[in-house]
Amino acid sequence: MSHAEFAAAHSEASQHIEQRWRTAFESSAIGIAMADFAGRFFAANSVFRNMLRYTESELYQLTFLDVTYEEDRKANQELVGQLVEGKRQHFEIEKRYCRKDGTLVWVRNNVSLVPGMGGVAPFWFAVVEDITQRKEEESARRYTEEKYRLVVETASDAVISLDETSTILLANPATTRVFGHTQEELIGKPLTMLMPEFLRKLHETGFNGYLATGQRHINWQGTELIGLRKNGKEFPVEVSFGELIQDGHRVFTGFIRDISERKQAEEIRRQAQKVIQTTQAELARVSRLTTMGELAASIAHEVNQPLTAVNNNSNACLRLLANQNLQPDVLRRALEEIVADGTRASAIIARIRAFIKKAPAEKNRLDVNEVIGEVVAMMGHGFEENGIVLQSELAEALPPVLGDRVQLQQVLLNLIMNGVEAMTAIIDRPRLLWVQSRIDESGDVLIAVRDSGTGLGLEADRVFTPFFTTKANGMGMGLSISRSLIEGHGGRLWASPNSPHGAVFSLTLPVDAENPS
Amino acid sequence: MTRASVVFVVDDDPSVRSSLKFLLSSVGLQVESFESAETFLQRKPPDAPSCLVLDVRLRGLSGLDFQHELAARNIRIPIVFVTGHGDIPMSVRAMKAGAIEFLTKPYRDQDLLDAVRIALEQDRARREQERDLTDLQQRFDSLTPREQEVISMVVSGMLNKQIAGELGTAENTVKVHRSRAMEKMNAQSFADLVRMIEKLKGPAKKAS
Repeated sequence: MSHAEFAAAHSEASQHIEQRWRTAFESSAIGIAMADFAGRFFAANSVFRNMLRYTESELYQLTFLDVTYEEDRKANQELVGQLVEGKRQHFEIEKRYCRKDGTLVWVRNNVSLVPGMGGVAPFWFAVVEDITQRKEEESARRYTEEKYRLVVETASDAVISLDETSTILLANPATTRVFGHTQEELIGKPLTMLMPEFLRKLHETGFNGYLATGQRHINWQGTELIGLRKNGKEFPVEVSFGELIQDGHRVFTGFIRDISERKQAEEIRRQAQKVIQTTQAELARVSRLTTMGELAASIAHEVNQPLTAVNNNSNACLRLLANQNLQPDVLRRALEEIVADGTRASAIIARIRAFIKKAPAEKNRLDVNEVIGEVVAMMGHGFEENGIVLQSELAEALPPVLGDRVQLQQVLLNLIMNGVEAMTAIIDRPRLLWVQSRIDESGDVLIAVRDSGTGLGLEADRVFTPFFTTKANGMGMGLSISRSLIEGHGGRLWASPNSPHGAVFSLTLPVDAENPS
Repeated sequence: MTRASVVFVVDDDPSVRSSLKFLLSSVGLQVESFESAETFLQRKPPDAPSCLVLDVRLRGLSGLDFQHELAARNIRIPIVFVTGHGDIPMSVRAMKAGAIEFLTKPYRDQDLLDAVRIALEQDRARREQERDLTDLQQRFDSLTPREQEVISMVVSGMLNKQIAGELGTAENTVKVHRSRAMEKMNAQSFADLVRMIEKLKGPAKKAS
């Protein structure tokens, strides 16, 4: 082949190669752009042009910095500088281009500086991949992750992730608050460090059992267990667990809630329930004691019978003697009856004594407001049923008194019941019952029960007399017994008219001198 | 007083019952005692002046219910109540229903005896009154219808002449009827007759 032939052939071959490159360049699925050393574009394929939505001629007026989004220019220039200084052969950058229409497009560029050769000056060569979709997905994922992270970080429950060996991978800030360990102290440690000794073996067996068989040994949603704080204190927790496969590994995430407060609240409620039950039991006792008033009345009746017989017989004897009507048989029979009735009377007295001994007063420090509350609770729907409005005016922070709870309950119940009954016939005005507590002038605790009922009229003083009653079914013992109970506490119980209607029953109780609060 | 008065004691307590009987008999009263209202009611009503000494709290029929029961049976016997303890409404009820006294045990024996005497006296007076009225009624019933007619007119203030005119008879005939009637009624005077007729009218009015 001649030189000319060779040259021609070579030229033809070059043209072929040139053509092939050009075609490859134009039809590439990826963006390709070239810029002179100053950065001005001089070649760009259609993918690149379309990416930026510029025509060829428009593009060749611009430098790569012109189309780079402002915020990304600095990073881009730094890399360019490194390349110019020969510190690297090429660089990769993820950045945003600003399209002709002002919108942004995320790209990943692989850039190299092609050195100058012969008459050709050095130029920039960039392979450009549109990564907008990937970026959006990434951003969405990051948003979701951030959201979850926020939830976990700010959760009030401890959130702990474990691997298949039950080792702690992650722990949120609440874990520190709940257990007292810092995150550093937790991560990489076995979960069992957060459990009391007796649960550790159970956990290991259960956890390994689950890994091997898929059989859960506890309910994963809301199981109550015991946790162990750093300070060695055990506390109740409620645990929920979930499982997830991450990179081929099983990860368990648990939510651990400190339920000490809830347990305490439950305990308080249980205690309250118990108090209510005890109070109800005491109420039963009180109602027995209230019938003690009736019992006393019937005892009085019983004592009166032999006394009456003794009187009758003695008086008859006296009359017969006065009339000189002396029949020894008659007198003897009368005297025998007198002796028998005397014996009968003392037997009854002995029975009362025995009864009273069975119910000794039990003095404790009492909060009278508490006792009032109990009695009001005992009344239950008694107020509503009788159309009565209850108004409590209880002084706060009353000093405790020394007293028998049941007896005080009985007295208060009696006074309140009396007030309620005094108002059942009232139809022309509200039926109001006030219960008040306060410290009186002499420093005693005073309780007043007022009603808007019929009042006592001139009988205010007589109501405390045994067997006095204004009630159709009354025995007239309630107030008499109440007064002796209060006097037994060193207090006083009295009645006075309420203005404009009804009655006030007031009682005082001395403050517990040994233990003033 | 033809028959001796009698006191009925009703009390479910044997000691009280027998001691009451003893006390009342020590002052010369005749006493019958019963353990319940029911046993008393089985006895035929007494014919002599009598009264009841009654415990309010009785087993079975209570004292107050017993009082009502007696009124319902038209047995008019004064009652002295005694009670182991009584309240005001109870005593008011008893007194309104006609009780003589309401005594609370243990009472003064004199109070009881006084109450019993008053009760017996009241019953005696009532019985006498009833007996008088019965006599009077019998005498009035013995008059002929015409005599009864004439007497009614006389008592209403009509003169013999007016009566004769009214009845369409002679004045003398009226005078005869009138004097026969006065005689049969055992009336001493015209005023006496008026009183008698008024007495007879009294219960008759009540009954109507």
